Amino acid sequence: MKRWLAVILVVMLLMTALAGCSKPADNEGPAEGGDKPYRVAYIARAQADSFAAWMANAVKEEAEKYDNIVVDIFDGQASDSTENALIENAITNKYDAIIIQPNNGEAQRPYAEKAVAAGIITITTNARIDGIKGASSVDADPYAQAKVNADVAVSQIPQNANVVVLNGPPGNFHADARRESWKKEFFEKRPDVKIVGEEIANWNKDEAMNYMETWVQANSKIDAIISMNDNMAAGALEVIKDDARFADILAYGVDGTAEAALLIKDGLMTSTSLQSAYALAEALLDTANKLLTGEETQIDIDIDCPLITIDNVDQYIEMHKRAGAIR
Amino acid sequence: MDIKKLWSEIKSKYSIFLVLAVLFVVSWIANENFMSVKNLSNISIQITVATILAFGQTILIICGMLDLSSASVLALAGVLSVSTYISTESLLLAFLVAIAASVACNIINGLMITKFKAPPFIATLAMMTMARGAALLYTNGQNIYQIGRYVKFGQGSILGVPTPIIFMLGTLVVTWYILKHTVLGRSVYAIGGNEEAANASGIDVNKVKMKAFIINGIFVGIAGVIFMSRVNGGMPNGAVGYEFKALTAAVIGGTSFTGGIGTSLGTLAGSFIVGFLDNIMVLSGVNSYLQQIVRGAIIALAVIYDIFAKTKRTKAKLGNIEAKNKV
Repeated sequence: MKRWLAVILVVMLLMTALAGCSKPADNEGPAEGGDKPYRVAYIARAQADSFAAWMANAVKEEAEKYDNIVVDIFDGQASDSTENALIENAITNKYDAIIIQPNNGEAQRPYAEKAVAAGIITITTNARIDGIKGASSVDADPYAQAKVNADVAVSQIPQNANVVVLNGPPGNFHADARRESWKKEFFEKRPDVKIVGEEIANWNKDEAMNYMETWVQANSKIDAIISMNDNMAAGALEVIKDDARFADILAYGVDGTAEAALLIKDGLMTSTSLQSAYALAEALLDTANKLLTGEETQIDIDIDCPLITIDNVDQYIEMHKRAGAIR
Repeated sequence: MDIKKLWSEIKSKYSIFLVLAVLFVVSWIANENFMSVKNLSNISIQITVATILAFGQTILIICGMLDLSSASVLALAGVLSVSTYISTESLLLAFLVAIAASVACNIINGLMITKFKAPPFIATLAMMTMARGAALLYTNGQNIYQIGRYVKFGQGSILGVPTPIIFMLGTLVVTWYILKHTVLGRSVYAIGGNEEAANASGIDVNKVKMKAFIINGIFVGIAGVIFMSRVNGGMPNGAVGYEFKALTAAVIGGTSFTGGIGTSLGTLAGSFIVGFLDNIMVLSGVNSYLQQIVRGAIIALAVIYDIFAKTKRTKAKLGNIEAKNKV
């Protein structure tokens, strides 16, 4: 029995190792001028995070448009130590460029600096790690993403309204910046609005549902749901979708997920702003290409964050249909 | 004297229900919105998924094991079930697929533990990682939306009783019956109390453990269907951390981690204690960080009480023996 187990273990290890090796070799197509293609390591925050997964898929697709670039995707598994180890491995493996989607910017900063010091082109993205000398970055500005929603909410939310607020995980760059934006761009301009409930739902739909169920017990009047992402807004809306008391409730999110687009189409959600993984992937590959070919030496850009409302939602539903997220 | 004795018996046997009753009354006084049919039914629905998992855990813990993989297996069973529904439009088939997938994972758990003598903690930890990976691989990390009539499982109601509550009561009765009135139940207690003694007395330990995992598998599958249906989507990242919610409910409910002790009603009470606490803290607007501290403190208290009560019981028994010897 023991010997069998040992054999199975060895075979599995070999298979994993071989599977790992064969991938880049498959992709080694004819590059421009017969040169070897540039090797790019894309280190994802966590393949288990649905936005990060969408982004990794988008990067993979976008990379196929470039003959001179081969991208290998690595999974940071939502762990700082794993992600840091992956960056170190990529340096050891002499990749031409490393794209880092940090799990926690400050924890990855010294490793990103190591990559720069090793002479490797380093790009940080979603969210960028600010102020690394010699590194480039591609990001969506979380403050702006929340602001486009807050700007319309200032005039849409009625006088003396009661609102509930759903927050992302504390310490997360996007969670904190989006909340800060709502504070400055909405709550400070509308002192009449009262927050009757505010909780951390960790980007999760089920947690948001539980909070909303309790809030509607304590408050007969809630005028708006202010959520730091679409997932949580969708959870809160799930609770009140058949409740006549809340038929006119306003709901704001961020991300522009397929589900949010459908909710806006159905008139349940008010607005969201798109953080497009496609736009990020496009900008990332374009940036990588320009840096690798020496066209430019340093680039910092932000993608747009268009507001999605009932007026323009159809085009975004089309986008998600193309991606296969909705039918 | 008699009253004192009666009180001490009530205290030792039904202490968990006393705690629950006190918490109920305190919550009732603390917030006027607590005591309403809608709020109480909300709490019951909110705890359903964790409670059904907890019933499975209770049987396993009494038997001297545990299942760290339940939340991941829930996610795998859930997404397979949702996608089955989408391609076949059959609710029955979708339900059966969830159960089959979950039972299959639990049979592997059982085999690792009985055939290969892997410690349950490690074996189910391995399954936790594998099942989550499989769920993510199957969905490519993306949520499945537009699940149509599938929501009936978790959002519907029969004769005015919400379906999740019916499932919870059903699994409660099954757990109670197995533990209280079957040979299997008695064997589970015997193995948890003293595995070698149970083996010596002719109980087929491996067979009982395997059955315990199969029952756990059925419960996890049901929980998966309810979870996905309640959040109106197939979420491969869903229910992260629910295995610990389930363990918490079982432990607060008096199930002893050393094995051999525990009841289904105790676990239900443990789950309601957590549910009431979460609910009253949100209703009263308690700071979200403080909520986590309170939750942790309750677990610590429950475990300390469990150990304290057990030493007291042992002492009482020893005292009886001594008294008899004197006579």
